[in-house]
Amino acid sequence: MRTRFRRRSPDSVGHPLVSRGPWALALRRLRRDRAALVFGSLLGLIVLALLAAPLYASQVAHTTPEENHLTDRTVIDGRSTYVLSLEGKPIGPTWGRSYFLGADENGRDLMVRLLYGARASVTIGGGAVLLSVLLALPLALAAGFRRGRTDALISRLFDLLWSFPALLLGVLLSTSLTLHGVEVGPLEIGSGSKLIPVVVIGLVYVPYIARPLRGQVLALREQQFMEAARASGMRPTAVMARELVPHLWSTLLVLSTLLLVNAIALEVALSFLGAGINPPEASLGTLIDAGLDNVERSPHLLLAPSVALVLIILALSGLAEGLRRALDPHGALGVSLVRGR
Amino acid sequence: MIAFVVRRLAAAAATAWVASVLAFGMFWTVPNVDPSYFLGGAQHGTNVTRAIANEKYGLDDPLPSQYVRLMGSILRGDIECFYGCASLRDEFVGALPVTLSLVAGAGLISVALGVWLALICVRHRGRWPDRVITAAATAAYSVPSIVLAALLWAFVTHKSGAFPDDGYVPLTQNPFEWARHLLLPWIASALPFAGAYVHVVRASLLNAVHEDWVRTARAKGLSERKVIRRHVLRNGLIPPVNIWGLDFSHAFGGFALYVEVIFGLPGVGLLTAGTIGTFDLPPIVALAIYLAIVVVLTSAIVDIVVAALDPRVRRSRPST
Repeated sequence: MRTRFRRRSPDSVGHPLVSRGPWALALRRLRRDRAALVFGSLLGLIVLALLAAPLYASQVAHTTPEENHLTDRTVIDGRSTYVLSLEGKPIGPTWGRSYFLGADENGRDLMVRLLYGARASVTIGGGAVLLSVLLALPLALAAGFRRGRTDALISRLFDLLWSFPALLLGVLLSTSLTLHGVEVGPLEIGSGSKLIPVVVIGLVYVPYIARPLRGQVLALREQQFMEAARASGMRPTAVMARELVPHLWSTLLVLSTLLLVNAIALEVALSFLGAGINPPEASLGTLIDAGLDNVERSPHLLLAPSVALVLIILALSGLAEGLRRALDPHGALGVSLVRGR
Repeated sequence: MIAFVVRRLAAAAATAWVASVLAFGMFWTVPNVDPSYFLGGAQHGTNVTRAIANEKYGLDDPLPSQYVRLMGSILRGDIECFYGCASLRDEFVGALPVTLSLVAGAGLISVALGVWLALICVRHRGRWPDRVITAAATAAYSVPSIVLAALLWAFVTHKSGAFPDDGYVPLTQNPFEWARHLLLPWIASALPFAGAYVHVVRASLLNAVHEDWVRTARAKGLSERKVIRRHVLRNGLIPPVNIWGLDFSHAFGGFALYVEVIFGLPGVGLLTAGTIGTFDLPPIVALAIYLAIVVVLTSAIVDIVVAALDPRVRRSRPST
């Protein structure tokens, strides 16, 4: 039974009792957290820019991320200039409508490529985290709820995956999948597909979500409300779905934002090593790789994707920390994925 | 303690074995990935080309016997590459000191910097030095080492000329040159970790500061310095040391890959990155297994060191 005491009039005497749900409380804490709000709005701006990438390409820059402009001219300060000089040196940032951040070795618009590349990195990271959560939740529930042999088996599997570096596993899996693509039943993933990094990163990070979740399920299992649910004759699946899972949402939210940071960084490293997105398609990793090759003549090619990646990671990890402070103010969940990269 | 060491090493051996089975399975048995498809040519080859490949490399043998043969050759160091290659084992062993120098140096720098800054934070908790350092740590943590390495290589190595473009000099040959080759790679790999460790160590030390035994130590009249060193640090460093151990045993298959590629350090990361690009299956599996052995061994050593420091760990079941 839940009773709500509402404030009757603004000048009521004493301490009016206001009962709020945990989510409302978290939201209130988040709204008072200035750092989280700043990082959150930065992230909002970035997401908007990434969503608007096709619009920017077609309406402002009038090009596509893969369109070469080897012999084109553009207007800078009222003068018509070749995009690539005679020695093949691309122009730097014009801060204008086209070639806002300059051009690359093939005369492609760097700003457009950057928007599309960041979009690819973020979507792949997001898809991978989604896949991880979808795989980790049932496994953690099964392990923590059934305990015994199921738990032993699943936990050993997590320990095993956990004991290998994510990047190495990712490179190997991705190489294996890239050789000829995969066909799993009706699902067919071609060898150049963007789904490969999603699957690879998603699989690699399953234990990073499942291990803390399992611990929480184990602790929740012993609580009285669980006993009450069992005693009232609910079936195990119903107990899990209706009684257990609602307690896990906040942990899942915090964990998956923290993991998204790592997933994006892993995608960048994979693409950099040639085991993720393949050129000419853009990802922050391939852009950094290409930028390194030509850094002496055109430093903007390296600087632009580096700054973009740092901004994305800064915004995301700032928001993730804010979410953690809001949802778990006393550190009771012990959720922390703070790891170096 | 001896029982713990034995158990931990046995667990490490088991993990390495499972890793070898997984690596074999990943490249030999997944449909469309197994070598006969791979060697058959475009579109998985024709039946004829696949039969020739099967005949030549003995791919028709039962999988367990193929596994035993491949693992034997990997451990002996005379793998038969599909496209031809040198003895990878010797190359790997030769490259190991480079990566070891990189990882150990970065590990030491990150942990020293992290603990030192965290101590300053704890001493001035809530005041401006604490805030400045935690903010700086967040910033450092937000610059992935791949970006830091790329920027340092592009704008410091090239511009200043004080650092070599690539290559490596062994420590035994010339310690100064060794450090000069490794300084920037160390900074690039250590800074993001140091940023993360400031947060981890600070949180852990702040927990320890409120423990009863710390209050007792203060009540006894110990100096703040002794309280921190003997009572706060000893207990507060146990959780961070575990994270550090995991991070740096993973480094061999983690940041070493791209940091070595960017700085042209001839270590196992560069070797792996080069080998992956060839799509030649036996050396890829071989490197995966060599790296697995190194990773598993390092994390076992770290766990044994932690157990030596903290008696409670010795009694618990070792995790892989």
